[in-house]
Amino acid sequence: MSSRTSGGRSNGTLPQTKICQFKLVLLGDMAVGKSSLVLRFVKGQFDEFQETTIGAAFLAQSVCLDDTTVKFEIWDTAGQERYHSLAPMYYRGAQAAIVVFDITKPETFERAKAWVKELQRQASPNIVIALAGNKADLAEKRLVEYEEAQTYAEDTGLLFMETSAKTAMNVNELFLAIAKKMPKTDTQNPTHAARHRGVNLQDPDAHSTRACCGGN
Amino acid sequence: MAVHSQVNGTTAIPWRSSRRRLSLLEQLKGCQEAWCPGAPWDREGAHAAICGAPAGSFLVVRDSVTSQPSVLCVSAGEENGAIVDYTIKSTGKAFQLSESRLSFSDLAQLVFFYSLTRDVLAVCLSIPRWIYGVTDKNKDRLSQLEPKTWLCSSADQCTDEMTQREPETVMCSIQLTSTNGALCIINPLYLHEHGDDWLTQRVSMAPAAKQPTNYRRERRLSTTRTWAGSGLTKRAVSLDQEPSATLMESSGLTRAKSADSPHCPQIPLTADTPGGVVLRRPSQDSAISLPHRGSTGSLPPSTPTTPRNSLGAALDLQRQGSPVPQSPHRVSWIEDGVWLPPPRPSSLLQPPSLELDSLSISSIEEEQESQMPSPSPHHPSAHRLADKVKNRLSAVSQALGGLVCQKKRLTNRVQELSDRKGGLFAEAVKGFVEMTLKRGADPDGVTGSEFLQEVRALLTSLRETLLDFPEIQMLLDSITDLSDAEIDSLVELSLHKVALKPVSVHIYSCIRTSRTNDGTFKRLQSNLSLLEKNGMEELGGSAGVGIPDSASLERIQQRWTTMHEAYSPNKKVQILLKVCKSIYHSMTANASSGQIFGADDFLPCLTWVLLRSDVLTLQLDTDYMMELLDPTQLQGEGGYYLTTLYAALYYISSFQPRLAARQLSVEAQHSLNQWHRRRTLHCNQSRRSMHRRTIRRQTCRERGPQNSETETENKGESGRETDPDESQQQTESSSSEALQPLREEMEREQEGEHQSETAHQEEVMRNEQADRQTLCRAEEEDKRGLEWIKEE
Repeated sequence: MSSRTSGGRSNGTLPQTKICQFKLVLLGDMAVGKSSLVLRFVKGQFDEFQETTIGAAFLAQSVCLDDTTVKFEIWDTAGQERYHSLAPMYYRGAQAAIVVFDITKPETFERAKAWVKELQRQASPNIVIALAGNKADLAEKRLVEYEEAQTYAEDTGLLFMETSAKTAMNVNELFLAIAKKMPKTDTQNPTHAARHRGVNLQDPDAHSTRACCGGN
Repeated sequence: MAVHSQVNGTTAIPWRSSRRRLSLLEQLKGCQEAWCPGAPWDREGAHAAICGAPAGSFLVVRDSVTSQPSVLCVSAGEENGAIVDYTIKSTGKAFQLSESRLSFSDLAQLVFFYSLTRDVLAVCLSIPRWIYGVTDKNKDRLSQLEPKTWLCSSADQCTDEMTQREPETVMCSIQLTSTNGALCIINPLYLHEHGDDWLTQRVSMAPAAKQPTNYRRERRLSTTRTWAGSGLTKRAVSLDQEPSATLMESSGLTRAKSADSPHCPQIPLTADTPGGVVLRRPSQDSAISLPHRGSTGSLPPSTPTTPRNSLGAALDLQRQGSPVPQSPHRVSWIEDGVWLPPPRPSSLLQPPSLELDSLSISSIEEEQESQMPSPSPHHPSAHRLADKVKNRLSAVSQALGGLVCQKKRLTNRVQELSDRKGGLFAEAVKGFVEMTLKRGADPDGVTGSEFLQEVRALLTSLRETLLDFPEIQMLLDSITDLSDAEIDSLVELSLHKVALKPVSVHIYSCIRTSRTNDGTFKRLQSNLSLLEKNGMEELGGSAGVGIPDSASLERIQQRWTTMHEAYSPNKKVQILLKVCKSIYHSMTANASSGQIFGADDFLPCLTWVLLRSDVLTLQLDTDYMMELLDPTQLQGEGGYYLTTLYAALYYISSFQPRLAARQLSVEAQHSLNQWHRRRTLHCNQSRRSMHRRTIRRQTCRERGPQNSETETENKGESGRETDPDESQQQTESSSSEALQPLREEMEREQEGEHQSETAHQEEVMRNEQADRQTLCRAEEEDKRGLEWIKEE
């Protein structure tokens, strides 16, 4: 629970640390290793920043970055094409996305490109997108060249790394790179702020009463 | 075997917070010479000293040869002056009573423990009340105390001895005395002006013999509270650089028992006074928060200018557990009620923490609220000053309630506010209920989604109204061990009870009407019959994923029912999470170890479960949750699985059966894909891209990923080699008339989905084309179904 401690409250374990919380969505074809990648990241972190979740489709993990604790809420999506149309529900409001493909399957790279396009068109304007060429440990089966993906990422303005959930190669690096790219405004306490706003303003009282009674 | 920390003298009791230190233990250690005197004292001497002392008074006698503590002499009560001896065994570093299996790493811990629970003793050990008055300032005097002082529990000389040098502090006290449910509040300022002799003079005359027969039971309870309070005291002191020592001195509070009542001259105890009163247990965390409130200026104006007084008062209240019947009742926090027998710890490792959950403190506020204004002819001063103390008292009561059951406290408080005739919040709630009932019933009214959003907006303003009440603010501020999100959830829950509960049935009927009218129910039902035979493979799950067996499925159905019956969307989400958890459990039951199941498998599995559930009701519940949850609660795990539930239902309702018209599904799918861009898309764009698609089809090799219309536009220009399968279809895609062949093609591809990923992708691409064609028609669907995911 420590990672849920907010900066605005005095009982935090890291009171001096700014806490930023981000929604990160995982996109990519089925079986490219989305879940493995995230799980490798989560397992590789200190337990104290880990939050228990009921399953691997949603994971929460914090990483420390200088004076900031960046908390990722990681939303996995089903990669099957039939569920594609449900994806906007998931990437809605996401501040970061990792689009994963399998370097041994070119079609997953093409699908990844499509996801990137869709995100750039339809997701939040400032979304940070990372492209992950997963299964880099299977170099002998490689069918997507590093340079090709790298060039594409550069052209499209993406973070790009080849990763291996199996060997943990570049896994933490990828998430740290994303964390560094995130805007570090304290997003932790919108509700807290809202509460105090509600306290300070005189109007909400009158407004709510009026609104309620006005309907009668 | 109990575990003890030698470092700070605390026991390793898993009680709320590791930060807490038990000051009573330290005090006990500090004056160990007083209760465990050395050489001249022997058994006879101890007996002589104890004889006539109140029950529980004790001394530990050392062995004359080894100087090891050997006998615990305890007064069993004054009726017969009996004294019971218990042999103390010391084996190496551990002390234990020979009759008991519990051992302690030092003598003070042993004494401390037996002051909380009697275990093998006839009575709990009694710790003199004055020990709580010991502060850092006079701590060093502890070691000089003698057994006679130790056994002096009447507080007269001892208290004086300890506190005389700080007489001013005696003034800060509050007395709350319950008789016939009446509440008596004494303003500390009044005490300051007039002294408190009138308050205490008759106390000392109270005959100890009047102790009720259930004395032991009460003692056990009260000492338990002492224990809790002592933790609070120490913690508060450590947080507060200037310990509220002065306030501690005035801790005249005693354990609450009916015999105490006559000690208060203000309100004579009547014959029908309930036999027992319950001491409310304070919360250490909430006590800490009091200074915070003071500093943020959120304290009510009439609150004394030194917030620490509140803290001190709260601290005082905790010490009332000291089992000294004769003590002056300067502060008393008592309430009519039933004695709750404290759990009897079977070992030191499971201490009174159990009691935390067994105690309800929720009626504190009610009592205070309802009885505060009641005139008390005998005590005009109390009445006159009631208002001044009220707010401070409120703070104290919140401090006392604290962690025990914040949710219930908050809920009760909100309920009270909503019941307060003519009150701001009560009126607002009333208006909300009336308006909601009226609004949704209007046949020409808004769509279901708009209606629900209005309800949500009204709920939010109700919450704002609620949060403007200082008492609610303080209540929330006193909760320090929850995250903001959890606190917000608490507020929402309490709000739901007063506002949403009365209208939930009506809201459901509105959603039902809306979903019936928009055809969702029809689609769900017809698609259900098409999909229900589908296994995990057909739904896209990977091999090896387990599915719930019939027993699990039965449990899930029960949970769905429970979820449906809950009126609070937050509560529903909690139940949803339980369902999801059991689905995960089923998924992994037969899986090879280490296999990870992410969304690729969870979504199909959830869909599989839904196909065997009452999807119509689930659709209602999902709408209810989606629209009425506080938007901030849509984040996190609950938000994720709610989204997934919504998505799975959407998948079912928008599924395209083989020979059925594709239109509805296209609209539905389109609405999902386009919710972001709804306002900027136009039909003519769609048509343009239809033509583009033709070009792309001929040239684009990368058709697979082209599943968004924008993709289509962009990629159309890039030349790629043509897939033979696609070439066949070029003609059909050039106009909207080509829909029929498209359908057939689609069906074919659906069948071959697993064999041909490319064909599958192509299907999706065409779906997108069709989507654009039907954009205009989709607009309405769009609005209806997807307000919740609308931007902003």
